[in-house]
Amino acid sequence: MQAFFEYFDLLLFVVLLALGYGIGRMNEQRHYRSIRQRERELAGVLAFGIRFPPDPKTPRDCVLVTGSVVVSSDYFKQFVAGLRTLIGGRMAAYESLLDRARREAMLRMKADAVRHGASLILNVKVESTNVGGGMRGGVPAMEVFAYGTALKPPREAPRAA
Amino acid sequence: MRLENPRPDETVNYSTEHPLKEFAWLLAGVSAVVAAAVALAGYFAGELAARVPFRVEKEYAAGIARQWEERQLTPEAAHARAALRALAAKLAAAMALPEGMDVTVHYDDAKTVNAMATLGGNVVFYRGLLERLASEDAVATVLAHEIAHAKLRHPASALGRGVAVGVVLSVVSSGMGRSVGGDPVQLAGMLPLLKYNRDQERAADEEALAAVAAVYGHVGGAREVFTVLGKLGGDEAARVGILQTHPLGSERLARVDELARLRGWAREGPVRELPPALAQLKPAKRAE
Repeated sequence: MQAFFEYFDLLLFVVLLALGYGIGRMNEQRHYRSIRQRERELAGVLAFGIRFPPDPKTPRDCVLVTGSVVVSSDYFKQFVAGLRTLIGGRMAAYESLLDRARREAMLRMKADAVRHGASLILNVKVESTNVGGGMRGGVPAMEVFAYGTALKPPREAPRAA
Repeated sequence: MRLENPRPDETVNYSTEHPLKEFAWLLAGVSAVVAAAVALAGYFAGELAARVPFRVEKEYAAGIARQWEERQLTPEAAHARAALRALAAKLAAAMALPEGMDVTVHYDDAKTVNAMATLGGNVVFYRGLLERLASEDAVATVLAHEIAHAKLRHPASALGRGVAVGVVLSVVSSGMGRSVGGDPVQLAGMLPLLKYNRDQERAADEEALAAVAAVYGHVGGAREVFTVLGKLGGDEAARVGILQTHPLGSERLARVDELARLRGWAREGPVRELPPALAQLKPAKRAE
């Protein structure tokens, strides 16, 4: 019991790190499984950065589709990233976090397109914003926002009476 | 035009290396670099500060001395302080203090179980510790230990070291972010500092033992002190030596015996009772 109180800070750190690693890694693996499955399911919805439709003469309706996700780092990633900031180099701890966020945002945007009956999204852009880690000591959290113009078959024009 | 969205390549955008591998080498590498930087900065700053003339240190610490001297003491506390000063004078005479150095002992009525040496040769003895010591020999050992810190310029070097190490650690922690990651790396940085501290304690113990042996003819008082302090620290099995500011009580006791054997000091001898002014501080024993 004495050792517990004597080294409480260190124990707390080890417990938080272990929890961050264990739960964070489990969540990440589960999230990747879900992302891969939904990418297969939504493979029919195509998204591109081009600004003009490949066949401009085909009449289409346009609709803005969006997908947004906010992701937070776990204690383990934060710690490893903190060490990395001292020496520089590839910040692997956050690479997978942001990769998941970008792909999730794209998937949500595609799901939005499906809701509108579209299967082609053009002029796709992905933006990210720091929402939680602006101040030193804050938990790094990012919003990744994907948006684009979905093209869908035109609604039939109302017939004249 | 053919339009296609291929499946993302899972080997490009994020690393497939096991995260624990990066964690292990980053933590080991950064901790080693921080510990080395702290050890270097601490060593040079400590050595430099200890070379500041004692006269300058004393002027710098004049405020500390005044703060203690101007305290209103009860007659009981004033007598205790006088007894401690008389004992300190006897010990200092046997300790060959450098020329121009003098030590001033202050008494504090607080229950803190401690004694300390601070800048300018100021030594503070707390009532809490006095109450736990049963003989003059034991009180003399503590006093000699604190005087030895002053003689070896430990308070000055500790201050210099603390400033230098503080700068190094604050740069590291500001680089890493406050909330996370700082603690274990800071701990790695503290290890050399704690080592310096324990080395200073060992050096002061050695000086104190020589003085006590010269004055009393034996080092039995030291055995009493380190037994009392060892018990205060609690279960030694639950403590990690490299994380302590002082050597463990058992190590200090063993060192007393070893030095006694090497230097030919008697381990035990006639124990002197506490001077009356100090004996009266002890709480009255409860009736059985």
